[in-house]
Amino acid sequence: MRLRVLIALAVALFASASALAGAAPTSSLDVTAKSVDFFSNRYVVTADGDVRVRLSDGTVISGQTFTMDLKLNRFLVAGDVRLDGPAVHAAGAAFAGYPDLDRSYFLPAAADPAAVPERWTYYGLDWSNTHAGREQPGDAFHFPDLTGERPYIYAVGARITPKTNVLFTFPRVYTAGVYLPLPRYVVTFSGNSHFYENGFQGARSDVALPFNGSEHSLTALHLRNDAFSGTYTAIDQHFVWNNDWIVASIDPLTQVQRQYNLIGFKTFSPKLQGRIFLQESAGSAGIINPPIINAAAFTEIQFNAGLRRSGLTYTQDNYYQQLLGFRTPPDELMATAFYDPRWREHPMNALLTWTGYQNSLTKNSPLSFRLRSGFGWAHDAYGEGGYVNEQPGPKSLTYHFVGGLLTTNAIKLGKGPAPYSLTAQYDRQRQWYSLPHHVDTGDARVALSRELFRQHVSYYVAYEVKTVGDYWGERQLAAYPTPTDTIVTAFGTHGGQSAFRGLATSHGLSTSLVYTPTQYFGLNLLLSRFYDTPAPVPGAYGQPPWQFTGDVRLRISRQVLLDLKRSYYFNFADERWTPQFEVQFSP
Amino acid sequence: MTQRIAAFFAAAVLLALALPSLAQGTLVRVTGQLLDVRNGYVYFTSGDAFKLAGAPRIADYDTGKPTALQPRAKLFARAIIDPATKQVVELDLTTRHLADDASYASVAQQFARTKPTTEPAPEIVGQRISGKEVPVTFSVTVPPTTPLNADVYISTDASNWNPQAIKMDRIDGQRYRAIRRFASGTRFFFRVTRGTWNSAERDQSGLEPPPHAYFTKEVDAQSATVTVYSWSDDRANSPQQAGPGAIPTPFNPNPFPAGGIFPPSRATPPGGFPTPRPPAQPNRPPR
Repeated sequence: MRLRVLIALAVALFASASALAGAAPTSSLDVTAKSVDFFSNRYVVTADGDVRVRLSDGTVISGQTFTMDLKLNRFLVAGDVRLDGPAVHAAGAAFAGYPDLDRSYFLPAAADPAAVPERWTYYGLDWSNTHAGREQPGDAFHFPDLTGERPYIYAVGARITPKTNVLFTFPRVYTAGVYLPLPRYVVTFSGNSHFYENGFQGARSDVALPFNGSEHSLTALHLRNDAFSGTYTAIDQHFVWNNDWIVASIDPLTQVQRQYNLIGFKTFSPKLQGRIFLQESAGSAGIINPPIINAAAFTEIQFNAGLRRSGLTYTQDNYYQQLLGFRTPPDELMATAFYDPRWREHPMNALLTWTGYQNSLTKNSPLSFRLRSGFGWAHDAYGEGGYVNEQPGPKSLTYHFVGGLLTTNAIKLGKGPAPYSLTAQYDRQRQWYSLPHHVDTGDARVALSRELFRQHVSYYVAYEVKTVGDYWGERQLAAYPTPTDTIVTAFGTHGGQSAFRGLATSHGLSTSLVYTPTQYFGLNLLLSRFYDTPAPVPGAYGQPPWQFTGDVRLRISRQVLLDLKRSYYFNFADERWTPQFEVQFSP
Repeated sequence: MTQRIAAFFAAAVLLALALPSLAQGTLVRVTGQLLDVRNGYVYFTSGDAFKLAGAPRIADYDTGKPTALQPRAKLFARAIIDPATKQVVELDLTTRHLADDASYASVAQQFARTKPTTEPAPEIVGQRISGKEVPVTFSVTVPPTTPLNADVYISTDASNWNPQAIKMDRIDGQRYRAIRRFASGTRFFFRVTRGTWNSAERDQSGLEPPPHAYFTKEVDAQSATVTVYSWSDDRANSPQQAGPGAIPTPFNPNPFPAGGIFPPSRATPPGGFPTPRPPAQPNRPPR
């Protein structure tokens, strides 16, 4: 008897397991039709004329028209619908797929006109049970209203991976006012940002041509332009899983000077993540020729671990300046902004940091604090043994630090609808080195702000003091011998340098005003005044004493916001307005 | 007397003749978008099927005259129903988008032939979403160490995860804000960045948090508040890293690294190009 019961249970379990396996949503939709259109503003794909949709289990749904809302992740096939697969053959008026609900809703059309029309519901890809008479969503068979919308892409076919991307075949993509024919094009709409992260440099413009993609990959060619390399191409390859990703890229791809990047990110557990970044820069005459100038590399390895009300971070930076061997003079002794010849070997810096959570000082206190500490090891950070009379640094050193941040919540001053708000913060840190010196850093900032809601204005005034002091005790003057008072650069002669003994300060006063009267216009003005010691030297170090930045935002269409930004430096280094506007388009 | 009786009979006959037409009533009209016409039924996007008369008239919606249009999916149509037979005797077609018919539900309840559903579907939940524009205020509290002139952005999946998708305004010492309008029902994910994916938000432990899920409700105004505890390019001992170009000595006179000539720590091949490339103008303010 027991055996029979066990067998019966096993059979039931097997049967239910099969049903469960069948009741899974489709993992892809292959759509062909006379025309397949993509409306980028709405993230909607439509197809008309001899529509054929193949699901991942091989079931084919054909009809007159198809529409899919990619964001809502639901699709509809309507008009003379046929549902054909290994386990199903049915005809109907419309078929609506809801992968997120793991349900498909069907309006069958019985061949017998006397039969009463029904509503069927399929579970996942299990076509064996129609679940007739089951409730259906009220808008299951509604078409999206695309009145006034223009397709971004015309194509003849599309492979849709739900919640991830659409691969269009033989598309014509709307670019700069014309429809550009391409062999393939991928639109990625995933909620996973890692499909878009790469190691590219910033550029003035970047037009991406993603031409291959799947549930876990994306390949894109880029046409880019920047001030340094002009117009060039780049390529990146992404592999993405839920919480892990890898991206390899070459940028530029078609210039003599190329950069190869690889980023890998791994989530080992919810409380442990790892990231690696590899970058090699190499000069090369052709695509397959070996480097003719030099090659250098940088790697960064990082692990983050979440602890109880704190976090632990390990970061290791490695620099490989001379992958093709060290060059002989005359360049050896000449430090430039591009190259520091002291780095004869490969400098390395390893750092382990503990950072606490933000904690309130007392239960109802507006004050909160965050503590941090860490220790590290630096190798060849100052060059191979340093320079005679310039840097008493050893080849390797260790260091450790402690620091803390004290900050306030916004404290309201006054009453009424538009009170002032005060925030303040103070950050302090001391770092000790195996060499007998330590560096103290401090940063204090107080800001007074106010929002006038009726006038659509908000503004603030902030005062900030930053200090960096390198203390050597009795050897202070050896480490910081009196420099010459004046420095001559291409921008002129600059004095006020002789007082520097290892302590640098910066006092900054900033005021900002934001005016946003309507959703179509915004204005952001920022004026800053800095008092730095040692005084800034154009072309050498420091920051302009006076800075003004204006940022205007105009909504030029329902979908596009134009952002214009420009800064003024009050003749510092003969620079007034920045040469160019920063222009940005956003939604 | 005879005349009275004749008048009474005449009235009775007229009444008898009028009764059927009174019972029949006038034709019923309902508009909607078509899914299909087949096997003697016309299907609307509500999923309702209405029985077609034997030879229904197909006409133009605006003129009422015969039309070359054939009933098919996506067309809008006015169905004229004979209440006596509960059949559609005429379909007036148009490609023009028609507004929702307020009387549709009551008409469908009377005349649709689809078998009513009896089994509830617990997976169907939610509220009616009209798609009206809702102003949404994004408010982001940044780490106190964020420079005053730093640009902070919101990146969303709706903008292809452009790390500079929505620029925010600093409104005080700790917060940035941006206001955008979204249709109710809009759903997306977003992250906060400082303009690149190398400077994205991190949580209190320094871990990369999952993207923020956002849904625009059917309300008059909405807000989304986020606290960023650190940036992915922060170093706990910044600006006093022990790496190249970080110690404030006269030989590396760079007390505030981002404003100095030495680029941030990256490979810089001699004779080759630096990474990142040097600024076009010297001594830009720190970011």
